[in-house]
Amino acid sequence: MAEYKAFTQEWMDAWKEKITGSQEYKEIAKDWEGSVSITVNADPSKNVPETVYMFTDYWHGDVRDFVLCDAARAQTAKFVMSGDYARWKQVAKKELDATKALMQGKLKLKGDLTYVVRNIKTVNKVIDLLTEVNTIFPDEG
Amino acid sequence: MAYDQDLSFVYLGTTKVIFGIGSSSQELEAEMNSLHCSRAVVVTDQGIIKAGLLDKITAGLGAKCVGVYSDIPQDTGIDVVDKAAAFARAKGADILISVGGGSVIDTAKCMCILLTEGGSLNDFEGIQLLTRPQLPHVVIPTTAGTGSEVTWAAVVFDKSKGQKILIVESFNAPRVAILDPQLTAKLPPLLTASTGMDAFCHAVEAISSMQREPVADALGMHALRLLTKYLPICVADGSNLAARGQVQLAATMAGWAFGNAMVGLVHAMAHSIGAVAHVPHGIANGILLPHCMEFNIPAAEDYYAAVAEAMGVRRNGQSDGEAARAAVKAVFALTKKIGHPQKLSECGVQEEHIIKAAELSMSDGSIINNARFVTGADEVLGIFRQAL
Repeated sequence: MAEYKAFTQEWMDAWKEKITGSQEYKEIAKDWEGSVSITVNADPSKNVPETVYMFTDYWHGDVRDFVLCDAARAQTAKFVMSGDYARWKQVAKKELDATKALMQGKLKLKGDLTYVVRNIKTVNKVIDLLTEVNTIFPDEG
Repeated sequence: MAYDQDLSFVYLGTTKVIFGIGSSSQELEAEMNSLHCSRAVVVTDQGIIKAGLLDKITAGLGAKCVGVYSDIPQDTGIDVVDKAAAFARAKGADILISVGGGSVIDTAKCMCILLTEGGSLNDFEGIQLLTRPQLPHVVIPTTAGTGSEVTWAAVVFDKSKGQKILIVESFNAPRVAILDPQLTAKLPPLLTASTGMDAFCHAVEAISSMQREPVADALGMHALRLLTKYLPICVADGSNLAARGQVQLAATMAGWAFGNAMVGLVHAMAHSIGAVAHVPHGIANGILLPHCMEFNIPAAEDYYAAVAEAMGVRRNGQSDGEAARAAVKAVFALTKKIGHPQKLSECGVQEEHIIKAAELSMSDGSIINNARFVTGADEVLGIFRQAL
């Protein structure tokens, strides 16, 4: 099975492919409209020398843009999520529930919380599909 | 109540609590001094002023009170916060003192953000966006229920969206809460009962939440013990300050419990029926709680068995399931004993309201922490019908 270095465009493409290939996702996400940006704060001690910005865009079960981006574009997303590398790694490995992480201040969310809650199954499915990507994390490779 | 092998949690309880009869006027100036503040704006509402609850507090502050802002409605909004923050800014406030119930306290919490960070409240819609402590805020609650004096979340209405927005910021927890039983002595029996059931509900939902943890459980359990014993006394004799004080403490403990472990389905439904049919929050919670407990029992037997234990209705030899059902019965009995409304229809709620509210409940942030996974609005509607 192919392996992908986390936070690279190839890794994002593999994640997008998992999402677009999931019939279950299409069903669950049929009401979701809008983009989510993910900011992974730099952590040189974990081989993340610079902050990583990702822009992901979802539309009624389809996936549109799914790219690395700059800080300015990340801020334009409907939902802006940010946090330290170690936290995102825990989420990506399903060691940390994203909702719990938000409530406990381990991750930050800017945007309409009620919309996220109404579509929590979509959020969880996108994370589930990420865990199916064979990922090499910066501090493990 | 067993915990997961991989239990991991963060408990936060940063608010200093001062308790005692007369503490609101006796301790405030000293607390301001210890926070190195000298220009207080008091945030309150007209009802508190008319009830004469502010007189001793402002007199105690003397020249350190640079203004009183009292134009706060029962449900606060972004426009209210903007006006109040502009007032406090113009007065040069270096501390806010909120005296009132949940709406007043939430207004002051949001004012702290605008006075520290500037900008518009819309910029802070979300979770944990702040990166530093905010303007000091001392809370003097005049009801015993919301627990807002020790929590870091605020709910405000956004007219432009037609919905309430939630601002959750651990950097915005009040610095000090002064619990003075005298300030709740004049609460009428129904308000005493409903705000008390709000606190009761916070404790039960925290104990059974998906985010439950041992510290919150301990606080929630003792809150239930105190409320079971002292809430009926407060309703029967509002002037009993010893009982009033115990209920205030219970509400604060329940506030810490749910501030950390969160609430569940009861609050999701109460927020929604409040928005659709204007049922007061505490009353909605008190009516809905035992019905939601019945719904949750398959996923929450051991948690509700603990509730039964705290309420003193668990018998030797009972299974968790039997004890959980005893807890449900005991909650129904408690609400009857304190003269709390039993049905939503008593508050003017009709079938059309609960259909809308059931849909709305599915997008309330509380629902994701409920002990039992809620599969859809039809399940919520079923519970609403039981409570109608």
